[in-house]
Amino acid sequence: MKNEIGKLYIELNEEFNFYAPIKDQGNLKFRKVLNPDDIVLDYYNTKIPPKEILFPEMEVLFEYKTDGKNVTEIIERKDLEYKNIIFGIRPCDAHSFTLLEYFFSYGDVKDEIFLKKRKNTLIMGIACNSPKSTCFCTSIEGHPFMKSDMDILLVDLGEKYLVEGISDKGKKLMARLKWLTDAKQQDVKIAEALSKKAEESFETKLDLKDIDKILDPNFEHPIWEEISDICIGCGTCSFLCPTCTCFDVLDQNNQYNNKGRRIRIWDTCQFSLYTLHTSGHNPRKSCIERCRNRILHKFCYYPENYDMLGCVGCGRCIQLCPVNNDLRSIIERINKIKSKKEEKVSA
Amino acid sequence: MVTQTKQNKNLEETWEPKILAFLCNWCSYAGADLAGVSRIQYPPSIRVVRVPCSGRVSPYFIIKGIMDGWDGVIVSGCHPGDCHYLTGNLVARRRFAILKELLEFFGIEPGRVNFMWASAAEGERFANLIKKATRIVKKLGPNTKFSKKW
Amino acid sequence: MSIETENKKIEEEMREVARNLLREKKVNVVIGYTKGTVPLSSTPIIITSENNVDKLIWNNLCYVNLAKYLVPRIPQLIDPEKGDLKVGIVSKGCVGRALVHLSVENQINLKNVKMIGIPCNGIINRKRIEKEIGEKEILELFTSDQDIVVKGKDFEAKYSYDEYINELCKVCKVKSPPKIVDFKDSCLGECQEVKSVDDNFTDVVEFESKATQDKWSYIKEALQSCTRCYACREACPMCYCNLCFVDQNKPIWFEKTTEISDILSFHLIRAMHLAGRCVACGACSSVCPVGIDLNLITRKLEKIVKERFDFISGIDSNKMPPMMDYNMNDREEFMLEE
Repeated sequence: MKNEIGKLYIELNEEFNFYAPIKDQGNLKFRKVLNPDDIVLDYYNTKIPPKEILFPEMEVLFEYKTDGKNVTEIIERKDLEYKNIIFGIRPCDAHSFTLLEYFFSYGDVKDEIFLKKRKNTLIMGIACNSPKSTCFCTSIEGHPFMKSDMDILLVDLGEKYLVEGISDKGKKLMARLKWLTDAKQQDVKIAEALSKKAEESFETKLDLKDIDKILDPNFEHPIWEEISDICIGCGTCSFLCPTCTCFDVLDQNNQYNNKGRRIRIWDTCQFSLYTLHTSGHNPRKSCIERCRNRILHKFCYYPENYDMLGCVGCGRCIQLCPVNNDLRSIIERINKIKSKKEEKVSA
Repeated sequence: MVTQTKQNKNLEETWEPKILAFLCNWCSYAGADLAGVSRIQYPPSIRVVRVPCSGRVSPYFIIKGIMDGWDGVIVSGCHPGDCHYLTGNLVARRRFAILKELLEFFGIEPGRVNFMWASAAEGERFANLIKKATRIVKKLGPNTKFSKKW
Repeated sequence: MSIETENKKIEEEMREVARNLLREKKVNVVIGYTKGTVPLSSTPIIITSENNVDKLIWNNLCYVNLAKYLVPRIPQLIDPEKGDLKVGIVSKGCVGRALVHLSVENQINLKNVKMIGIPCNGIINRKRIEKEIGEKEILELFTSDQDIVVKGKDFEAKYSYDEYINELCKVCKVKSPPKIVDFKDSCLGECQEVKSVDDNFTDVVEFESKATQDKWSYIKEALQSCTRCYACREACPMCYCNLCFVDQNKPIWFEKTTEISDILSFHLIRAMHLAGRCVACGACSSVCPVGIDLNLITRKLEKIVKERFDFISGIDSNKMPPMMDYNMNDREEFMLEE
């Protein structure tokens, strides 16, 4: 039942940090819930992506103490063992957590802080009955009712939710909630019909089948000038992208109290200083190179490294770009290169 | 009960504000020196930073001072027309005017940041102005909006 | 006259001027606005041929300040062999003011710029409308008579045009670009003579009459959700420094974190740097992804500069901006005296 969300909150709040969409200054964001009446579930998607729960805008990596000259002690973070529940997340954002996990666990040096938090996090998502006109998760092999990245999936049937446990963690949690009633065959049928209806209602369909094969040889193509001529290099697209992960590491020193801490803050490849070398050379000195880098990262390097596209199809960059540099038209123009392959000229 | 409130009052009265003072080398710093040599008493609340001219003081210094937790900031220079570098203090005066209005607009108490002119021969004037500034800042209380919590 | 008829008239006249400029090869490119792909926006467009002139539009959602594209950050507009390109820009009043001020600061040469002046009739405050509509999706927005009509899948809402334009547009006095004596050829289309601008700043005075603690709470609440994305800085034509003060790291003056003291110091110092230079175009508020309304700070900056130095940015190409100048007789009533 829809009015039982409060019951869910009260039961789980003591053991878990309960995160859900809450309105903050007119914007919908994922925040820790203090009052279950604040939870908003009748929404398309939050403005700030839920990556900020496990990968916040500013995060302390560790603290240290000094004796005036040298570091005497390093204090690691102790709050990573708390368990989290992210409630009310959409399938595209849940998929972004899978991509974030790949990124932070790639290679020899793994990001322990993110991975520990991720291990202690349970994802309870809600399927999209009516996607927005700018959503395109079906174009990146996703689905508005996709379950594979979640632990528990809820489907909105009107007056009640159909709850399905998907992973072992999810099934265990469901077993604890003794007040859930068994689903009827009819409910499952309604959910399947809703799923089909949502899949067919997508207005945006992009052809991303061979995009990495088109992008790879066309690094120097003159189309990049055309695509980026109105970009102002602000950083909104990366900050609001659920899969963008670049960060800057800074040390903050409090010399009067002989202590300090190392923090990380969000950074973006769209800033002009991102690739500035100390020699003064900047390989990406204009918006042309930086725009190109972002598209290649999402649609060419991710498939090369992880075998999946780095975009989840949430559409936030399309809605919030200040100059309305629409990703859909960019992809369309890139696909046209494929059909005009004979005319490809070296600038 | 009476001794307790007396003790609390003493604690309150014994809080001394910490004020960051930028003094221009040719006039105000010399003026402060003169006040010291003439044994003129003024509250020990200021911590002096000597700058070559009040025009060297950038708004960054003042704002960083407030953000780092200083209770007050004072900038003192030569009188207009008497600047050692001719026009440094005139440029600074425009900056200070805008900064003061903006700080007040943002809700930072206007008494925390003060600007003054004091020449090298005005030891007593310097001491009086510092006394006045300390009185104003003391009434405003400690700077709790921006103390570093870690 | 209804707003759509006004817009159509402006559009036709603007396209005519642009067509002539391109046909007579007086400019190499024309920068203007075209229809956005998302209901509440418009996109800047750079056209080079007169066949594309019909793509230029004017609706009340043209919030980007096009003068930004001229400040040397966009390499496509600078051809090192042939020298600077000749550029035509569709200019509402604030864009024209920005161009004039940039020329006073020696960043652009107005000889190479042709302002296609239009009499702007206001920009819709899209962030305010989005916040009021809430979580529903807006599929269409258009003006009808004197109202703004917003349509979605199963809803429709009407807003009064005069009430829901940007706060800065409500008090704007320079709606088309100012005519500049030294660069008569640069002012085409509709340009206006601006000798001086009267303003009571009642909105600012009302805010200033609040108690210090109330002002602090209001500003803190308004700026709390800033994500430090710097969209405001990148959209502002006056923010063209090669190294912004927050990016400096020798020494680090102000941190780039999202703690309230760092957010406030960024906005306070940015306001300080824009004193006497801001042209009140409202682009910073329109592009902010979390919808922070910076118009109150902008208005305060205008008020300070007008009242102390009798200066309005961008209307006179011969007057020195206040922060580049000094005067023996400046008011010093704020100084501490015995």
